[in-house]
Amino acid sequence: MQRKLYALLALLIVMSMVLAACGGSTATDAPADTGTDSGDTSTDSGDTGDDAMDDPMAMYDPATVTGDVVTAGSSTVFPLSERMAELFRQAGYAGNITVDSIGSGAGYERFCVEGESDIANTSRPIRDTEVESCQSIGRNPIEFRVGTDALAVVVSSENDFVTDVSMEELALIFGEAETWSDVRSEWPDEPIQRFIPGTDSGTFDYFVEEVFDENEEPILAASNTQLSEDDNVLVQGILGSPYAIGFYGYAYYAENEGALNILSIEGVEPIRENVDNNSYPLARPLFIYSDATILVEKPQVASFIWFYLTNVNDEVVDVGYFPASDADLLAARNAFLAAVGR
Amino acid sequence: MTDLSQSQTAQGAAASEQPTAAGSLRRKRRIGEVIIQSFLFLCGFLSIFITMGIVYELGKESLLFFGSRQWENSNKPITQRIEVDTTQFAVSTSGFTLDIEDLIRVDEELMLITGLDETLVTVERGFDGSEAVAHNAGAVIEIATEATLREFFTTTQWNPQIGQFGIWALATSTLLTSAIAVVVALPLGLATAVYLSEYASQKARNTLKPILEILAGVPTVVYGYFALTFMTPLLRSIFGKDVVAIYNTASAGIVIGILILPLVSSMSEDALSAVPRSLREAAYGLGATRLETAVKVVVPAAFSGIVAAFIVAVSRAIGETMIVAIAAGAGPAFTFNPFQSAETMTGHIVRISGGDLSYDSLDYNSIFAIGLMLFFMTLALNIFSQRIVRRFREVYE
Repeated sequence: MQRKLYALLALLIVMSMVLAACGGSTATDAPADTGTDSGDTSTDSGDTGDDAMDDPMAMYDPATVTGDVVTAGSSTVFPLSERMAELFRQAGYAGNITVDSIGSGAGYERFCVEGESDIANTSRPIRDTEVESCQSIGRNPIEFRVGTDALAVVVSSENDFVTDVSMEELALIFGEAETWSDVRSEWPDEPIQRFIPGTDSGTFDYFVEEVFDENEEPILAASNTQLSEDDNVLVQGILGSPYAIGFYGYAYYAENEGALNILSIEGVEPIRENVDNNSYPLARPLFIYSDATILVEKPQVASFIWFYLTNVNDEVVDVGYFPASDADLLAARNAFLAAVGR
Repeated sequence: MTDLSQSQTAQGAAASEQPTAAGSLRRKRRIGEVIIQSFLFLCGFLSIFITMGIVYELGKESLLFFGSRQWENSNKPITQRIEVDTTQFAVSTSGFTLDIEDLIRVDEELMLITGLDETLVTVERGFDGSEAVAHNAGAVIEIATEATLREFFTTTQWNPQIGQFGIWALATSTLLTSAIAVVVALPLGLATAVYLSEYASQKARNTLKPILEILAGVPTVVYGYFALTFMTPLLRSIFGKDVVAIYNTASAGIVIGILILPLVSSMSEDALSAVPRSLREAAYGLGATRLETAVKVVVPAAFSGIVAAFIVAVSRAIGETMIVAIAAGAGPAFTFNPFQSAETMTGHIVRISGGDLSYDSLDYNSIFAIGLMLFFMTLALNIFSQRIVRRFREVYE
């Protein structure tokens, strides 16, 4: 009796494991792929990293620095910082580097108010009030431009009626309109299902600023709105219905390109050319912020940022964003050199 | 410790040697027992103390939520200079919309809006004892948001950031998911319990019960993804993609039902088994069939135990967090349609505390108010269940 029971239990457990393995495969595919991708590129970038580092920078060799690096902030910058952290480790860094995806506002809060993080990853420039709180804990934020994100407004590929919207229509779609036909009469009379980043995210702030003239009331009051800091939740929601629409950083669109349609804004497609010449209305800069004292006191942080700035252009397209202009990147490197006193 | 036990056995031995001594019959204080007793008392006291602490903390933070006036930048500057005695002035068209009776703040001065005409605002100056002073053009208007108990319970929109505090947007979804869970778990759980206690052979019972209890051991996050990746597609294939939203309360509710099923069946089965055998035998003796015995004699006799099981299960369903956070939706919505997305109270707490929540912000305080509401809901259920249990309790022997 007892034995039979155990056999049955064992069978159940094995079966559930098999089921779990089957179910899990789709979920783990994507990260596994990117993992191997970066593995391939790592050796290259490691080399270029070494080449790029002249002798004076030897103290920032990833293999020689010790101690932890704590970064937190924008979910948009997250994939990029995560990739750079991975390469940094592969280049020989042996400490712990954490990249938290908590939203730009929260990233600044952790950097400027609590002072727990060494680097803030953000998708909007720092505000004056945030600079003030940073200064009140003795930090002077330095900005490093690392790339450009085009905010993607996307619908499911099953949606065959929307391809292009104006900024006014965007405000309607994410604000007062109840159904698609409220926006344009030829669109179907179906409720709009909205999937937007949560209020802690820089993406949300940026969208409200650009589309709603800084008034977050209409977008928060809109019915049928799902908010999440987790961009994958949004992707899944938008995939779920032809009447769903959402927006988020370009990288998440790139990851799900086949199943999602990206919209043109005011007739401008979000492609490299349009982002570079600033004609795409929803393009925005990506930054990391740190502080000169931190850079001097914690060589591992300086090492990571220098590594970031020298290698980011090799990776940024692969992660799904657009590279920053050469001038901006050069300015970032100069800011770094000035901060560490070289 | 060893000294202690030795001395005790020595005492015991002494007592057995001299049974006639008067002192040996007196009740002895056993130090070991005193320690055990006070430890047990401490355990009980601690749990009460912790409960009181939680209620205190919830209440304190909720008071902050209801009592405080929060100022928010409306991104709407004044477009003209205001002198000390001006009561009507123009504001920019950008930013928040103002309403009559809104309390606004310019620099340090409070004003109450008494009239609105396009961008022309009429105000009562120097409100609430603040000093009326001149303001330059471009000064920023801040809007007050204040949560009141009345608004909390009588409105249906929940958006603390823009001054909407209607708890029902969240509470209805909690009630909806719990109701669906109950509809799934109660009949199934009770039927399982009746089968296990009245029909199943000893062998079948010994096999089935542990398996059922495995269900209770599955982590809720697993249930959450089960709801999202299995139950939702299933519902969508049955009712159609246009009817069932990708995040919906029905799939979350059904899966919560599965989660609480073992709780219902296991506790109800215990209650059914506790009914004395003589009752069943009497029923059989009167010519009742097995079904009649189960439904008309055993279930009513165990009613109070079954109700207790139900209430525990419902409390569990109301408090369930992970499943609803993953599968039910991520935006407050006042709806009774189970196929729509709606965020429950627990799901909302999880989502807004997922980013870094700044301390003392309205959002931060609001989660304690929601928590207190949840606490009162389960407390009410518990009181209700105690009443029922007391009322329907059948005592045999």
